[in-house]
Parts: sequence; C-alpha cells; structure tokens
Amino acid sequence: MATHVHSHSPASPTERLLEPVWAEVTAITPEAEGISTYWLKFSDPAVAAAYTFQPGQFNMIYLPGYGEAAISICSDPESTSVIGHSIRFVGNVTRAISRLKVGDVVGVRGPFGSAWPMKEMEGHDVIIACGGIGLPPLRPAIYHIMNHREKFGKVFLLYGARTPKDMLYPTEFEEWERAGIQVQVTVDRADEDWQGQVGVVPMLFYRFRMDAPNSVVLTCGPEIMIRFVVYEGLARRVPADQIYVSLERNMKCGQGSCGHCQLGPYFICKDGPVFRFDTLQPYFNVEEF
Amino acid sequence: MQSDRSPEIGSTVAIQKNVFNSLLSKLKEQGYEIVGPHVENETLVYAPIAKLEDLPRGFVTEQEAGSFRLVYTGHTRYFDIIPGAQSWKQYLFPSRAELFTLRKADGTWNMETPRPTAPAYAFIGVRGCELAAIQIQDNAFLRGDFTDPIYRAAREKAFILAVNCLHPASTCFCASMGTGPRVEGDADLTLTELEDVFLLNVGSELGRNILSGLPFESASAFVLNAANRGLERAAQQMGRSMDTSDLPDLILNNLDHVHWREIGERCLSCANCTQVCPTCFCWDATDTLSLDGNQTRRERVWDSCFNPGYSYQAGGNTRPTIHSRYRQWMSHKLGTWKVQYGTFGCTGCGRCITWCPAAIDITVEIANLRKEIR
Amino acid sequence: MDPLDELRLELQKIPWFRELQIKHLDMLAGITQLRSVKAGEVLFREGDRAGAIYIVLSGRIALDMAVPPRGKIRFHTAEMWEVIGWSSATPVVYQRTASATAVVDGRLAMIDSAKLRELCDQDHDLGYLVMRRLANIVASRLMSSRLQLLDMFADPETKNAK
Ligand SMILES: Cc1cc2nc3c(=O)[nH]c(=O)nc-3n(C[C@H](O)[C@H](O)[C@H](O)COP(=O)(O)OP(=O)(O)OC[C@H]3O[C@@H](n4cnc5c(N)ncnc54)[C@H](O)[C@@H]3O)c2cc1C
Ligand code: SF4
Ligand code: SF4
Ligand code: SF4
Ligand code: FES
Repeated sequence: MATHVHSHSPASPTERLLEPVWAEVTAITPEAEGISTYWLKFSDPAVAAAYTFQPGQFNMIYLPGYGEAAISICSDPESTSVIGHSIRFVGNVTRAISRLKVGDVVGVRGPFGSAWPMKEMEGHDVIIACGGIGLPPLRPAIYHIMNHREKFGKVFLLYGARTPKDMLYPTEFEEWERAGIQVQVTVDRADEDWQGQVGVVPMLFYRFRMDAPNSVVLTCGPEIMIRFVVYEGLARRVPADQIYVSLERNMKCGQGSCGHCQLGPYFICKDGPVFRFDTLQPYFNVEEF
Repeated sequence: MQSDRSPEIGSTVAIQKNVFNSLLSKLKEQGYEIVGPHVENETLVYAPIAKLEDLPRGFVTEQEAGSFRLVYTGHTRYFDIIPGAQSWKQYLFPSRAELFTLRKADGTWNMETPRPTAPAYAFIGVRGCELAAIQIQDNAFLRGDFTDPIYRAAREKAFILAVNCLHPASTCFCASMGTGPRVEGDADLTLTELEDVFLLNVGSELGRNILSGLPFESASAFVLNAANRGLERAAQQMGRSMDTSDLPDLILNNLDHVHWREIGERCLSCANCTQVCPTCFCWDATDTLSLDGNQTRRERVWDSCFNPGYSYQAGGNTRPTIHSRYRQWMSHKLGTWKVQYGTFGCTGCGRCITWCPAAIDITVEIANLRKEIR
Repeated sequence: MDPLDELRLELQKIPWFRELQIKHLDMLAGITQLRSVKAGEVLFREGDRAGAIYIVLSGRIALDMAVPPRGKIRFHTAEMWEVIGWSSATPVVYQRTASATAVVDGRLAMIDSAKLRELCDQDHDLGYLVMRRLANIVASRLMSSRLQLLDMFADPETKNAK
C-alpha cells in the first residue's frame, strides 16, 4: 500500500539527501603542523543570511570528486558571515582540502547534530576539558560564554596538546583569560625550553579546586582522553548528568540515515555528537562497539 | 454470481485463477510496472512480470543454513515459493542510485540533481515478513525529521499485493517475530492461494479499485475456513523459531560476553547477511570523477556494518575485529533497533541464514547466547 | 612569625594534610623545611642520591629525563600541592630517576626522606596516611604516564614513524 508521507515539498531541507550548498574559502589560517582553519562564506547570500548554528554542531564539508568529511564549526556562533572549520589533514578528503587556496569553493551541508547545553549551563561553573582537535568544537562554546560571561559561574579551560607546537589557537588564550576564563594548558611532552605545564589533560583536574556539584563538564578529544576526563569528573562527584561529551564516528550523511555513526541505539550525527554522559554510560566502555 | 460491483474494503473475495491476468492487465493499464517472483537463469528473482504464467508455478525453494536450492516439484500453485536472496528493497532502496552529477564550467561546479523518478511499482506476492520489512524501512527512511527522497519517490506510489504463506521454508521464523505467515501489515490486496481459487482480501481503496469490474465472488465460509486452517498449519510447521521474550535486554546487557568472540571466529565478515536482509538500510556515498576532472557523479550505494571500511575514522577503525562487527549486526537487529524505531530490525525471513557462507544462524546464535548466560 | 608556625600554616594549606591529627602534623613539621627556588634552579639531577621529598607550594617544577641522542625530554611538571621525588620515601630507591628544575620562582616544602621513613616505621598510623597518599600519587602519575605512552594525539598516519 502506498504510504502516507509528510507532504512537504521535495526541496525542503529534511529531504535534501546529500546536496551541498557552495561556499568560498575566504581565508586559511595555519594553526599547527597539519591543521589549518578554513573560513567559509556561502556563495548564495540567501543561504548565508539564513545560516545559524549552535556551539558543538558540525558541517559536512564536500570536495567534488573526493567526498565529504564531518567537520565541527569552530567560530563564533554570533558572527556567521564567515564560518570557521579547523581541519586536520588525515585522509582522503581532508588531504585534498589541504591543497585548497583562498577563493576555491567547497560544498557544505549542515549544521548537524546536538549542541553543548549552553542554556542549562547558565548559573553553573563550567569546566571545558579537551585535547588536540577536540578544542575546535568547543571554541564556539567559549565564544558564547565570553559573549554572555555574566550568565556563567567560574569557567575553566583545560586544554592539552601533544607538544607545544601542536597547540591550537595559542594567541587567543590571553584574550580568553581577560574575559574571565581560567586557561590551563598542558602538553604531553616537551623539551626543556617549554615553560608551561607537562602532563595529560585529566591530570589538570588535580590542579584546581572545583565546586563539583555546581559544575558542568564539557569534554571533547580522543576517546581515551574523554574516558579519563569523565573518570576524574565522576571521582570528584560531578553528577553524571552534568558531564557532556562529544564523540566522533565515521559519518556519511549527518541525517541519521546511512547508519555509519551508530553507537548502540544512537546515531551520533543526530542524537549527538554531544551527549549527556549518563545517557551514554551503558555503551561507553564496551570495547569496539 | 459474477459481479460488476466493487468489493468492500475489508472483505474477502474469491477469483478464478485465470482472472488474475485481468487484474495484472488492469494494473498495467493504470501505469504500474508490475514486478513479482520469477524463475530466471535457474534461480528465483524479483523481475518484471506480465502474466500469471510468469510466476514460479511448480517450483519450491529448499533452504537451509548456508544452502539454497530451487526445485521443480510440479505443484499447481503460483505463489507457493519462499523468496530467495532478493527482496523488494532493491526497488525501494536501490543498491546504487545517483544523488547528483557535477559538471565544471568556467571554473565553477554546476549541480544536476535527478528528480527521483521511480516508476509506480506493483509488487505482486509480498510475503508477510516482506511487508513487515517494508514498514520497518519506512520507519528509517520516512521519519518526521528526515525523508529520503529516493525511497519516498518509489514508496509513495507502490501498489502492494501481499500473499499469505501456506508452506514456509525451513529457515523461516516469521511466526516468532509476529510478521507472518499471515500477512499482518497494510496491503492493497492480500492473496491466499487455494487449489482452485485465489482469495483476495481488500485492504485499500486502491485494491478495491483494481478489483472492481472483475469477476469475483464473495468468499464462502468453506474456503475462508480452509485458508485459516492452512495458515495455522503453516505457523506450526515453521522451520525455525526464536524466543524474543528477553530481547533486547539479553543482548544489550551482555555486550561483553565471550560468545561474540566465538561467533567472530566463524563469521567471514562477507556482508552477505546484510545485503540480503530486507530491513538493512546502511549506505555509503561515493564520487566518481571523470578522467579530465570536469565531471563527478555522486552515488549512494549499499553498505554494511561488516565492511571493514564502514567504521574507519581518524585514529583507526572503531570495529576492527570481526566479532565486533557481528555484534553490531545482531545487537542492531534484535537490540538497538527496537530502541531506535520501536520494532526489531528482523522479520524472521531467514535470508541471512540461507545466504551465510559460514551457515551462521541467527536463531541458533540467540539460543546459544541465552544458554551460555544462564 | 615563628618559622615553625609559618611552616605549620603552610602545611595546613595542603589539602591532604588536613586529614592529619595535630600530633602527626607536628611530627611532619619537625622534619620539613620551607625552601624557595628561583626560575631555572635545579633541585636535583638524575643519578643524585635521593634525600628529600618536595611538595610544591607555589611555582612549577619540571621533571626532565636525558634521552640520548634526543636531548632532554620534559615529561611532567609539578604544580601547586603536587609531590615530587616521592620514590625516595620507599626504602629501595636511592637514586633520582629524573632531574627537577624550577620553571618559575616558587616555594617548596622539603621533607627529609630518611626521617620520614623512620617516623612512618615508628607510628604506623602516620605511616598508613603517608603511604596511602603516596599510593594515590603513584596511581595518578601512572595514569598520566600511560596516557602519554598511548600518544593519544598522534597523527594516526605517522604514529609508527615517530
Ligand atoms: C562530529 C564530528 C566532528 C568532527 N570535527 C572535526 C574537526 O573539526 N576537524 C577535523 O579535522 N576533523 C573533524 N572530524 C573528523 C573528520 O571527520 C575525520 O577525520 C574524517 O575521517 C576526515 O575525512 P577524510 O576523508 O579526510 O579521512 P578518511 O579518508 O575518512 O580517513 C580517516 C582515517 O581512516 C583511515 N582509513 C579510512 N578508510 C580506510 C580503509 N579502508 N582502510 C584503512 N584505513 C582507512 C585513514 O587512513 C585515516 O587515518 C570530525 C568528525 C566528526 C564525526
Ligand atoms: S545490521 Fe548493520 S548493515 Fe544492517 S542496518 Fe544495522 S548497521 Fe546497517
Ligand atoms: S536479520 Fe535475517 S531473518 Fe531477520 S529480517 Fe534480516 S535477513 Fe531476515
Ligand atoms: S554472519 Fe555469515 S553472512 Fe554474515 S558476514 Fe558473517 S559469514 Fe557473512
Ligand atoms: S552519519 Fe549517517 S547515520 Fe549518522
């Protein structure tokens, strides 16, 4: 029997399967070895005007002939005339992106996915714990906090990188500090010229006092790092429903359709990437799930 | 006795078998592309059919874990064959479909998006389990927050003539899954084949329309009874069964059980079970760039959680081992699917059992898992 | 201020010292000295005979290992309230396994290792508290080392090359 489906027009956004819109690369900022930020401006002014996103969401970036990659939006959610994506060159699509020049055009679909709980965090202390390429998806949250600083309690950024030269956005840390965010930075290894902290991100939890019941923890980075950040949070009695993690999986559609990003009952592209930890708990430690 | 009336929706009528050809002609006149089971190159496929004689009369399929045989027994029934590897999925969710083509002109890419233009299919001979599978895929492709245009284009227009199963195969366990042998879902017409007549239950206005003007009789209590008895027998003769009472918890609470590793040693990760499964919906998108680099065609193709490339991401493969992929498959089918869509992702059609080169049997593996946990 | 009072005051700021009874605090104060370090000052070097355990009160102490031919690798920095040189509290380790250098000016509480071992032997209640604390430190340091060993931020492509 013919089935009754919603009778919206075929062009409505919920029905555009994998058709990107075009955006021009307006600037490329090298951030660290193998990572640059691509600033994109939508070619169609109507698309540009209508585009909004929330901190934590991502776009699918498409390069004709190569394919798509899920990339978090790393720029200020209140300033969307150009949209930033910090991209690490690791594979097929991202390496091809590394060869782009200013003025080149890429396809964009999005924004997709869940966001950091900016509203629920109001009135709480915020601990942002991230590592490596886990900082870009949190940067919009940092900007949001800076834009509305009075709504949040104490804010800590705990950020770890592999070595000092892998650190993302180091020139912004001072400004963040000035805006009342306590920035703690660490690296996994360094040489003796490095004056900053050495040690892994979860260790940073030993180095400040927190008001655990009143704190919200946001974390993103390698899954193993996330796991230990969550342990440190839970060990200090941060409630599981005040810890939020952002996860990564292979993604092809961003619409909960292709199946690739499944983790248990969740489609990370649509139910995530940001999850409240208690909802994830049953599946989080299952090996290779 | 013959009638020009239209039957009531919900009623069951009887037609002589040869009248079925008029029904097919009528579907054709109304623009339907008729597809049904058909024997071709010594196997059973779903293919365009035009007349009753195109159906696999006289054939049965003998199915066991890891084996499939098409056998001619010479019986006189047209719809008495349990399906092979193919399912209606290939029409609603084609294994390969163009998403768009880009052509570069003056340095810019121009996109040509084919408007999904599936024909109006008339599916003839959809089993209870297969109808359930279509409805399961509806849940995945026609959601409130996302509608798949390719699926929708074909699905909206499809006419479904379902068939009650009187002689299930030994790999069938639809009775356990509540999807058969009696057709439970909504079809335009539902057919039961007796020795001399076809009984047709009218499920929709469309079904009624197709029957109107054809010579039918209302079904007598005697034939209705015969059909019911046949269906009860079929449910009892089902070759396999699966206890679903403790699902999905049995799986979701035992994701770390050693049993998965044990299956992983037998599974070849060939993906056959997902390709033949009428409910599996996973897909990949690929670009094919022309040699001059000025044109690329983006397509969607079936994918499977058994393919090693399925779960690669920066940092490695999320499911590097075969047992983790098998666990994904089974825990999706009989576990997380229920959380996602409210039903199991398995209808009990048995295809994955028949077409597994390692003869891995989902009903046996569930029973084994349960045994080992107790 | 009386140096002993000053010392007590400093020690009481350290979170885990708050669990101590007055008696134990006094015992520890008796074997502890406050010490300032200047940026760049070397506290001890790899191979030195281990004589003291340090608690960082302020500043940052870097732990480096010389790895020929890669030069000095900085693998840990100790921040406020962290303990360094902990292995000298155990009866078997007598040599420093890393060098400790002050990265910025700071202050330390320096506990005499041999005397600490003695106190712990005499008063098992204190011994238990100290050893429990050291076990905690070892556990967190081990966790940290493991994560470093995993090289979790490494580029998946070049991980083996490095
Ligand atoms: C929600 C989300 C947000 C993200 N945000 C960002 C971001 O902000 N910045 C960023 O840089 N990345 C981000 N990522 C990660 C990014 O999407 C992946 O790195 C993506 O895989 C890159 O695509 P690619 O085509 O370049 O790499 P791929 O070609 O997919 O390769 C990825 C890795 O898998 C390996 N691989 C792939 N296929 C195979 C195979 N068949 N056999 C063996 N190895 C294989 C590759 O060698 C490589 O190591 C995000 C991912 C998600 C899910
Ligand atoms: S079983 Fe595997 S292939 Fe089938 S729908 Fe689930 S994840 Fe996709
Ligand atoms: S899992 Fe197997 S038995 Fe169940 S619907 Fe799929 S192919 Fe049929
Ligand atoms: S279960 Fe059988 S059909 Fe499925 S992937 Fe393994 S070997 Fe192939
Ligand atoms: S990326 Fe396709 S389902 Fe999530």
